[in-house]
Order: sequence, then structure tokens, then C-alpha cells
Amino acid sequence: MSLLEIDQLKVTFDTRYGQVTALDSVSLAMDAGETLAVVGESGCGKSITALSVMGLIPQPPGKIAGGAIRLAGEDLTRASEARLRAMRGAEVAMIFQEPMTSLNPVFTVGDQIAEAILLHQDVPRDRAWKDAVALLERVGIPAAAARAQDYPHQLSGGMRQRVMIAMAVSCRPRVLIADEPTTALDVTVQAQIFDLLNEIQRDFGAAILLITHDMGAVSEMADRVAVMYAGRVIETGTADSVLDAPQHPYTRGLIGCIPSLDTAGDGLAEIPGVVPPLHLLGAGCAFAERCLHVRDTCRDTKPRLTEKAGHHVACFGAQEGWL
Amino acid sequence: MTALLEVRDLTVRFALPRPAPFQPRPVLEAVRGVSFTLEAGRALGIVGESGSGKTTTAMATIRLEEATGQVLFEGTDLLGLSDEEMRMRRRDIQLIFQDPYSSLNPRARVGDIVREPLDLLGVGTPEERRQTVRELFAKVGLREDQLSLFPHQFSGGQRQRISIARALAPGPKLLVCDEPVSALDVAIQAQILNLLARLRAEMGLSYLFISHDLGVVRHVCDVVAVMYLGRIVEMAEAPDLFAAPAHPYTQALLAAAPTMARRKSKGFSRPMQIEGDPPSPINPPPGCAFSARCPKAQALCRETMPELRPLNGREVACHYPG
Repeated sequence: MSLLEIDQLKVTFDTRYGQVTALDSVSLAMDAGETLAVVGESGCGKSITALSVMGLIPQPPGKIAGGAIRLAGEDLTRASEARLRAMRGAEVAMIFQEPMTSLNPVFTVGDQIAEAILLHQDVPRDRAWKDAVALLERVGIPAAAARAQDYPHQLSGGMRQRVMIAMAVSCRPRVLIADEPTTALDVTVQAQIFDLLNEIQRDFGAAILLITHDMGAVSEMADRVAVMYAGRVIETGTADSVLDAPQHPYTRGLIGCIPSLDTAGDGLAEIPGVVPPLHLLGAGCAFAERCLHVRDTCRDTKPRLTEKAGHHVACFGAQEGWL
Repeated sequence: MTALLEVRDLTVRFALPRPAPFQPRPVLEAVRGVSFTLEAGRALGIVGESGSGKTTTAMATIRLEEATGQVLFEGTDLLGLSDEEMRMRRRDIQLIFQDPYSSLNPRARVGDIVREPLDLLGVGTPEERRQTVRELFAKVGLREDQLSLFPHQFSGGQRQRISIARALAPGPKLLVCDEPVSALDVAIQAQILNLLARLRAEMGLSYLFISHDLGVVRHVCDVVAVMYLGRIVEMAEAPDLFAAPAHPYTQALLAAAPTMARRKSKGFSRPMQIEGDPPSPINPPPGCAFSARCPKAQALCRETMPELRPLNGREVACHYPG
């Protein structure tokens, strides 16, 4: 049994276009101490997957229409709100994209970390504060005792994200979800945060669910990867297998379209068109409209994930070998 | 090759609010003595982190920001032109913005948005202008039946195509691109970068290209200038810069950019990892601005500012390059 298992999860949303399926038969699994990267363009369902695990899908308009999310065997989709509240932060914690909007501007960062500790642990306030300072030190904030007295606006973007990480690991969660944790940061600071997350994982043994659109980040951070498109996992396996031998045309496109540091010059691989709106998805493969290899079967039936080249891919072309 | 654009000793200062009544207003030097040359038909990239002054440099170059120094465009100093002379000169220098959502008027039809520069400059007859717009639409990969739609009916990538069509309308020689793909999804980025490459080849354009993404700059640019705290710290032909960065900051940038060449399973350590954040441009340190974060810094670096000096066919501002 894996630590976290998402099993055939289906999430729907009521919109003005009617009910749309934001996640369709999504299955993912992670073990302690490993990093799973979920990649894809905006609107492919990465963040909805993360919010589902946290029990933060707004219901309504959202609804978990099927499947299960099992944390060490316990199905979170059936858990009570009280149980979810106890779980969030203590067992599963999340780091958001924008540290400025996810920190409270009117409390010091030390207070905010201590609050997380007090919510989940039976410790006196001064002990919680000491722990908060120790955590700030652990995430590489210089003069941590003084910085703990600072308000979020007094810190730089990179420091704020470190505070978020300190808060997220304050209760030693088993699963850490990082939703594009470095999008708002400069590249040198991004590297610092990536290296810090890897260190934290070594120290605390947490499983990290990393949401990103950057294949370079996947390569540097992930043990395993799941590529999502229009609410479905279309390719998944070890990072080595998926990055070295991508099978799905979308994954190949995502890798080929990155202007890389190592090669210059000629045209980038293009994926024509855009991700289709969810309410316009048909019966077939959601990528069919953008795929250069599309055949009639692709438009009629959705491909399922099957094994190919050491990992799993949902593509008729890859499965039948006519790509 | 002739120099299309020659920037000499460009400096941009912003006066900040007074800290207290009757005190002088502190001055922030966002761009400090920047010089570079862009030859016709080439693309010069400016990279740097936020606050490095890369956008301010570009905006000052095209006189959208007050600056001192010289900006010679085909030999004419743009900073010395009258407003009306500058307005007429703008047909040669056009701009693409970062955010395709806020840079198009939501209440105008996209055909009109693209035609507006031609109307303002009084180019040709109304029918000729409409014809030009149709040609531009085809050139950037949009369809003629989309001319009468509004910006909100387009995706981000298509909006950036509209921005590009508008910039191309007056027939510019220089296109200033300010982070043109950073608001777009990776797959869409590739479409726009390929379009920019094709347009440059077809129309003989020159680009002044601002980006924080080294991969994008590597892909688009012939020459790259790396900025740190308002100054150029290294400038070189792109292949040289990426093959063997000489300034420690360039080395750190390259080591930090995520790449598929580094794999977690194989283990890696970055060749250069720097700590902290860029210092504030309000009170820059006396010596090299990078000295506080630089692992190679010596006493000299903290006292004396290194000048940008030629070194093996490139220019580097570092006491201990390499």
C-alpha cells in the first residue's frame, strides 16, 4: 500500500456551460520520501488534483463524483470536515504559488508558524514560538529569531516562500504538496528553494507532490512524474523513463517545446492550438485536435493508460506503434 | 554590419518619496551607465532578475522613460529629439509587452487595434491600411474572419499574435520585446518564439529582447547582456556566453536555471549556488554589487566597482573573471 493513493478520482464542477469533468479517472500513488511531479499546461487539472487531496474543492460548485483518495489507507473523500481539519497541516501540508497572498499580512511570520504548531500539537505557546524560530533557521533564514518578529511585507519573495515551507513542515507532515512553489520567484532563488525542498525531504522523509509546468524542474526534483492533459493522466512513470523515452505526443511536445540552455538555434517543436475548454471535450482523446498523428479511433474513444516502454501511457498511437 | 542602435552610458534615476518632511528625496539609480550596440538584423537579449533594470533599460532606450546618456538610432540621438520628431520616429521602433491581457484595448475590435498605428502615422489611404492589416493578420497566423472580434475572444497566445501584428503595422526596423512569452504556457511560448524567429528572418527585423528566462534568450538572441542591479555585468555572443560564462553571476544564473540535463535520480550538485537576494538599488554597496552574494569575492570586490572590460571577445565587469 502506498502512503497516498488517488484512485480513479473524478471531480466535476457546475459551470454556466453545464457540468464539466475537471478530473477524470485520475490515479496516482506516492510513497514516503519520494517526489511525484504533476505536469501540464494551465487548465489540465494539476491544481484541482492538489486541492482534492487537501479536501479544499469548493462544494458546490465542485463535487467529488467518484473514486477515492487514500492516505495510509484512510479514504479522505469520506472523511468528516473535523477529520479533514485535523489532517490538513498535520499530515498533509501545502505550499502555494504566491507566498505574499497566502501569508496573513497583519501577523508576524513567527506567530503564523507558531499558530500552525499550536493548532496541531499540545505544547505551550513559548515552546511553539521556539519551534517556529528553529524552523525558520532550518529553512535558511539568517538571524531567525529577529526575522520571526517581522511581518510578511518586510521579507523578500524568497524569504516568504521559506516561511511558507517552514510553516508547512512545522508538524512534520507525511505529504507535502507544492503547487508551483517558485513561479513568483527569480531563478537564483528558485534554485535555492528547490534545493531546500530536496533537503527537507531527506531530513523529514516526507512525500512531495510537486505541481509544475517546467520539465527542467521535473528533471531536477522528481522521482516519478505524471503528465496531465484536460483532467486526465496521459503518461506516468519514473522521471527517467518518461523524460528519456516519452511516448505520448503531448509529452514529447512539452519536452520539445522548451527552449533549452544546451541547444540553440533551430525551430522549437510546436504543439499547435490550445488546451480545449472542458465543456467542449468529446468522446475521444482530448489531445486529438492538436495531435499531428491523429486517426479516427482517437476521435471516437478515450485511450486508457497501458504499459509501454517501462511506464504507462494513454495513447492509441503509442500502444499500437503507429506514431 | 552597421549599428542600428547604439546606447552609450544610459542612466535612469527615479526620485523616491521623501522619508520625512523637508528631507531630500532619495534617488534610485535603476540603470547605471549602460552601453551596448545592436547591429541591424540581429537580436540582443537582456537578461537579469527582477529589479536588475532590464525593462527600464529597454523603456529608456525607446524614450518611454526619462534617461541621460545617448541613444543613437541610425546615428540620430533619440534622447535629443523633440516630442514630435520622436513621435514620427516611433514607426521604426515598436514594442511588444509582456501581458497580452492588459496591453490590448478591451473595447476595440482587433482589426482596429492593429490598424491604429497606421491611422496615427497617416500611412496610405484607408483602403491600403485595411489591406495592410489583412496581410499582417495572415503573417502572424490569424484568420481574416477574426478581424472584427474583440480581444477577450482570443486566447493568450493569439492575443500576443495581435500585439505582434500591431507592432509590425508601421513597418518597424527595431522591435523591443519585453518578456513577450513569460505570461504564456510552455506550448504556446514555443509557437510565439517560432513566430518571432520567422518574422525576423522574413522581414530583416532587429530585436531588443528582454527576458528572465535564459533558455528563451539562448533560443532567440545573437548577443546577450546580463544585468545585475542596474549594470551590465557580462555581454557576449550568445554561444560564447552559454558555453563559458565568465562573470560569477552569469555562472550562478546558468547553474540555477532548471534543466533536463540535471536529473534527480543521477544526483547532481549545482556548479555554483549563490545565497540571498539581490541587494536594494537604493543604497548599492560601494564595490561590486554582486560581491555580497559572490563565492569568489575578495576584499578588492567590496571596495572597488569593476568596470566592464573586454576579455577574449566579450565584455565582463569582474575583478576575477572566469
